Amino acid sequence: MAKIVVLGAGISGHTAASYLRRKLSKKHEVLVVSPNSNYQWIPSNIWVGIGRMTRKDTVFPLTPLYKRKGIGFKQAKVVTFHPEGDAEESMPFVKVEYTSADKKGQQEKVTYDYLVNATGPKLAFDMTEGLVPGTNKAYSVCTYDHAEHAWEGLRALIDKLKTSGERAKILIGTGHAKATCQGAAFEYILNVEKELVRFGVRDRVDMTWISNEYALGDFGIDGMLLSYGKDVMKSSDMLEMVFRDRGIRWITGAGVTKVEDGKAHYENLDGEYKTEEFDFAMLIPAFSGHGFKAYDKAGGDITDKLFKGFMIVDADYTPRPYEEWTVQDWPETYQNPSYPNIFAPGIAFAPPHTISKPRKSKNGTDIFPAPPRTGMPSGITAKLVADNIIESVNNGKITLPHKGSMGNMGAACIASAGYGATQGMGISITTFPIVPDYKKYGETGGRDVHKTFGDIGLAGHWVKLTLHYAFIYKAKMRPFWWLIPE
Amino acid sequence: MTQKITKSQKARMQNPIIQFFKYLWLNIKIIRIVALGHGGTRKG
Ligand SMILES: Cc1cc2nc3c(=O)[nH]c(=O)nc-3n(C[C@H](O)[C@H](O)[C@H](O)COP(=O)(O)OP(=O)(O)OC[C@H]3O[C@@H](n4cnc5c(N)ncnc54)[C@H](O)[C@@H]3O)c2cc1C
Repeated sequence: MAKIVVLGAGISGHTAASYLRRKLSKKHEVLVVSPNSNYQWIPSNIWVGIGRMTRKDTVFPLTPLYKRKGIGFKQAKVVTFHPEGDAEESMPFVKVEYTSADKKGQQEKVTYDYLVNATGPKLAFDMTEGLVPGTNKAYSVCTYDHAEHAWEGLRALIDKLKTSGERAKILIGTGHAKATCQGAAFEYILNVEKELVRFGVRDRVDMTWISNEYALGDFGIDGMLLSYGKDVMKSSDMLEMVFRDRGIRWITGAGVTKVEDGKAHYENLDGEYKTEEFDFAMLIPAFSGHGFKAYDKAGGDITDKLFKGFMIVDADYTPRPYEEWTVQDWPETYQNPSYPNIFAPGIAFAPPHTISKPRKSKNGTDIFPAPPRTGMPSGITAKLVADNIIESVNNGKITLPHKGSMGNMGAACIASAGYGATQGMGISITTFPIVPDYKKYGETGGRDVHKTFGDIGLAGHWVKLTLHYAFIYKAKMRPFWWLIPE
Repeated sequence: MTQKITKSQKARMQNPIIQFFKYLWLNIKIIRIVALGHGGTRKG
């Protein structure tokens, strides 16, 4: 009998647990450890943040589902890793601390044969002074709580504008020089813009996009060349076209350093220190590792064998200049090289380097996006990790036939650009591969332009809404859920 | 100079009949790109 412990019940942890349970015989144990009692479909937080959905639409409780499906669940957070066991425990284990009301604060050793670390990112608001969701007129949409709060803030501003006739400034984008997840902020600014039109106050609001990207449409993946109708255009041109159409001004190459009441201070690539004022802001924080510690059998600190911020996997971490980066640097199996029974799919793995070109300001400050790992690669990498563990359990030895590098994987980003059955809008972008392969697709910016395309229209909104329902159906493990691709 | 979204393009973007067919096309295209496999990049 094997025991597989999955840390985290986000897109990657929940996907891994679902496939492990579906394909492994019941004599093997699958146990999920996650601090939140709910599953949340994070992409739809954008719509919670404009009041078009509520948290009820985007979350469901995990306990009843896991009970029905035979998946163990501890509402707890991992605190330390002990991949060799310790003086009393011969099995590898993680120490967890309960977060559920009944056992809050209690610690326990959870042993495992295989460990899937799918703890995603820490939302590192503390890396930007004054950036605390819901204070200083700045909000976040990274969790459903944050998104609900953002909607309250936005709603209050809209009400004020409707009654006062005043003007207002809205600032949306990234809140740190090395933030990622520009796509979410991009969706939010376009949705907010559409809502302001709907409420009849758009003409009194100045909207500004602020981002650490060198150019619009970089999205942390070095931008892309894409087919758009009969043309081939740069993602920067596509986004510029959209922002101009919506009357949104943009500031790029900006690393926000500090937020004060209605003010965002930032440094740009020219080395200038500037301030942007706002009445409402939504700024995505930096994403960091959780700062976990790891110990060997004797209690010695072996954190650097497991973590480099995020978890170390089969990537090539040799430092090299941008010009020498290759797709082969990117991991294929998400297995930790020191402890082969530990895997880290989704955002939890440490990338070998960024995807976007690293840039410094004239003062030497790094200002460029961290590499994103969106929902689709998070799901795909989790499924392949689950498949490899299943093979290993069934073969009685570690076997890794399933591989999936972000340098040989496509992704779709359906960016919502406004909500509504007939008035909605979506910007659909696909990219293949996610990490540009400049050797294979040297002529077309590292991507296959037949598989890298953009489209704008109402259909994109319908696709996004379909994905919302389809992925929640899949996450609830309803009949034939596994037919829905990641 | 950046392209502009023209009035006629905008009308097409919001036309439910055109967009219904676009919806079908988008789903097929996305599934083909995303679900049709992924793999490693290293030899051996
Ligand atoms: C607002 C927003 C919109 C987005 N929109 C899109 C989109 O449209 N399309 C798309 O593809 N991607 C989108 N993304 C990105 C997508 O949400 C992420 O790629 C995805 O959630 C990553 O999955 P993950 O499982 O690796 O991490 P998460 O989803 O962050 O899951 C991490 C899990 O680990 C748990 N955890 C944390 N700490 C611990 C601990 N100490 N012990 C145990 N468990 C722990 C958490 O509670 C959580 O359950 C969006 C992101 C945001 C913030």
